Amino acid sequence: MSYSITLVTLDGNKIQFNCEPSQTVQDAAENAGFFPPAICKMGSCGSCLAVCDTGDYELKNYSEGLLPSETEESKAVLLCRTYPQSDLMIHAPYNSDRIQNHQKTPRDATIIEIKVLAERTMSLVLQLSEDEEQGLGFDFEAGQFVELEREDLNLKRAYSIANTANWEGRLEFLIRLQDQGKFSQFLKDQAAVGQALKVHGPSGTFGLQGQSLNPRCFIAGGTGLAPFLSILRRMAEWGEDHPTQLFLGVNNEAEIFCHQELKDLQQSLSKLEVTICVWKPSDKWEWFRGTPADALGVYLKQTDVLPDIYLCGPPRLVEITTEMVLEQGINAENIYCERFG
Amino acid sequence: MFCYQCDQTTRSENGDGCSTEKGVCGKDATTSDLQDLLVYAIKGIAQYGKRARDLGKTDKKADEFILYGLFTTLTNVNFNAHRFVELIHEAIEIRERVKTLYETVATEQGQAIEVLKGSASFIPASSQDDLLIQAQWGAILRGQDIVGDDIIGLRAMMIYGLKGTAAYAYHAFVLGYEDDVIYAGIEKALDFLSTDPTDADALLTGNMDIGTVNLKVMELLDAANTGNFGVQEPAQARITPIKGKAILISGHDLKDLHELLEQTKDKGINIYTHGEMLPAHAYPILRSYSHLVGNYGGAWQNQNKEFADFPGPILMTSNCLIEPTAAYKQRIFTAGPVGWQGVRHLENHDFSPLIKIASAMLGFKTDEAEKTVTVGFGRHAVLGVADKVIDAVKSGAIKHFFLIGGCDGAAPGRNYYTELAEKTPDDSIILTLGCGKYRFHEQDFGNIGGIPRLLDIGQCNDTYSAIQIASALADAFECEVNELPLSFMISWFEQKAVAVLLTLLSLGIRGIHLGPSIPAFITPSVLAILVDKFDLKANGDPAEDLAAALKKAA
Repeated sequence: MSYSITLVTLDGNKIQFNCEPSQTVQDAAENAGFFPPAICKMGSCGSCLAVCDTGDYELKNYSEGLLPSETEESKAVLLCRTYPQSDLMIHAPYNSDRIQNHQKTPRDATIIEIKVLAERTMSLVLQLSEDEEQGLGFDFEAGQFVELEREDLNLKRAYSIANTANWEGRLEFLIRLQDQGKFSQFLKDQAAVGQALKVHGPSGTFGLQGQSLNPRCFIAGGTGLAPFLSILRRMAEWGEDHPTQLFLGVNNEAEIFCHQELKDLQQSLSKLEVTICVWKPSDKWEWFRGTPADALGVYLKQTDVLPDIYLCGPPRLVEITTEMVLEQGINAENIYCERFG
Repeated sequence: MFCYQCDQTTRSENGDGCSTEKGVCGKDATTSDLQDLLVYAIKGIAQYGKRARDLGKTDKKADEFILYGLFTTLTNVNFNAHRFVELIHEAIEIRERVKTLYETVATEQGQAIEVLKGSASFIPASSQDDLLIQAQWGAILRGQDIVGDDIIGLRAMMIYGLKGTAAYAYHAFVLGYEDDVIYAGIEKALDFLSTDPTDADALLTGNMDIGTVNLKVMELLDAANTGNFGVQEPAQARITPIKGKAILISGHDLKDLHELLEQTKDKGINIYTHGEMLPAHAYPILRSYSHLVGNYGGAWQNQNKEFADFPGPILMTSNCLIEPTAAYKQRIFTAGPVGWQGVRHLENHDFSPLIKIASAMLGFKTDEAEKTVTVGFGRHAVLGVADKVIDAVKSGAIKHFFLIGGCDGAAPGRNYYTELAEKTPDDSIILTLGCGKYRFHEQDFGNIGGIPRLLDIGQCNDTYSAIQIASALADAFECEVNELPLSFMISWFEQKAVAVLLTLLSLGIRGIHLGPSIPAFITPSVLAILVDKFDLKANGDPAEDLAAALKKAA
């Protein structure tokens, strides 16, 4: 027997499909031709997080950090680990346009630029090859990510896109070099202009909640700036000059990057304010000393209108900031997060 | 939110209207409430505008804003909440300017200055939450508990008719045509509505007055279209694609199409029309561009599939936008009053982003076998063969005329129009207009003595042509239009159609069949009045309606 699954997206649209009790909701959706955002499909990344408010289900084999026991009451589920035991009504925290209706074929790309931007931070630019259907086009929403793959080295890693959708086939990334990261090692030691990569996606639900009229606060930890750069560039290109605060956190001055890009964006976006937060600055640092969460806390104390909060950065930054803004009276539904490891 | 301005509004035993977080059209509650508030703010401009005009002073920019602002609130035009916040604030700036104009001229002329309240003194709040609380002042149902559904419905019909009228007037405006009589009529109606009228007779008269203004507007738009692009001529419009790079343009705005054709000249990009843009192929100046190669797809409600399949960028120029899917959201653009959050809006006819995308995309890979439809039977073409038509009527070769036209939509009941057209007898002529024609326009209806049985008059605003044709026939036969063997089978969807309906009623045309359903804002009591005064009919069984129509007019 199979159960009927109804997935309701943030914009009120519904998709329906059947799911066997032995099948995950994610798999069943994909079998039915819908591709809700999901990366690892192993219960580890949290990209398929949703809320199942009607029906019985079992959650198997997932990272407990993603669904701590206190979230049980909230009925949070990971679609890739949810096995139905009755018909289910599931609410997804993204709009229907984030659900693809076909599996996208990976695109071929070539590295056309790779450079060190700051301490432990690199910029990578890819040129896509022409696709039979889309030409050089590559559709994505600002805030989404792709997975970059080097098949021969068995390397695959997800990175947010830092530029906006375009028809020249250009994709820009900001990459944090992790000590133990295999892709980081590859970029540092082997990658060179002219080398080929595969691009999977786009995926992800992170992005602007465009219809909200609240001011926007973007909190970026390091290269968590990438999706915000994409969003801000799109706002500039689209002429959407909305009150926006950007808090960019780095460990020390040597890690500061994209300063000039942000200044340029402020030329187009008159209501954009940028605060660079240095956690362990030298004595010479004259600007904000502390984490972006600290800077956001200062801002929230002096503002009358509560903003929407967008977070992208290491899990710890996301957790601390979320706790802090909830304490400040911001509703959970006005907080949007993207975590990276 | 509460909205029942279009045909697809939620219908239920507990009352009709969209009142949840999102309307059937895809408009969310915030946007809907802000649209109501914008209309409220625009009433404030009109209150002062009317008084200044009465004293001989006008503000052209304010007149333009009233048209544009009302147009943005039509069904399937603008879904961008941010845009409405901007427009509300802009409306207040303009109102203050017009207020100063009025007070200055009143002082100069020694007149007492009226102190106006309500929308005339509305100050928008700065926060989202407060603004949405204020939106109740502009809510369609405001005062329902006191005045009842009939008065609310009559007010709503007026405001919706005004929206349609303003939209048509804006189309004419962008083509360089305007008329103070129209601005005065719109301001007068808005000023009347700002008093929250409760007299049903006065509201009915107000509705008929809007119909009269809209007739003037459609006449002006007819002049604007023919003045800019020549007189519509019968022509074949290709409806199958040809190999090559492509741009699709939809909506009603022929000026946008003209600009696009100019900017894409000699660039190796083919331009396709969509939806209500189809009649463009009948205008000589537009047709003279060889890269205007055809029409792609059907009526607006199919756009999710058609736009996704179209291998190039898309420009939506006026009403009829529905929520773009991920498949084409990055390559659809809006212009003029249209908007969707996250969809790129193009200003000042700069279509270079479209050209860039069209060049990057591969376009249609092959030629499809050629198929065409005939367009271009506007009033000039039909009246050009008036003698033949009159002779055919006199000889009995033509026994009846049907005007089957208006909007199309997704409702299953709209098959009525296909069935109706198919069942019309061979000795009848079908005049059609609007996107309702997509239900049957590819069929071969044959001809009567060389006159095609299906005559496509054009866009919905070309109802003006239909009225002219009907008047000419009435003159030729020395009778009233109501005495002609002519049946109006009108399909409505949104507020332009409300304006057209009010125009037809204001002309005293009786026996109009209105479908696929009676508007939710026309209450049973108001419908009874319209039936009594105008013999307005709801759709029934197509065959029975057809038989009744033929019998009555015979």
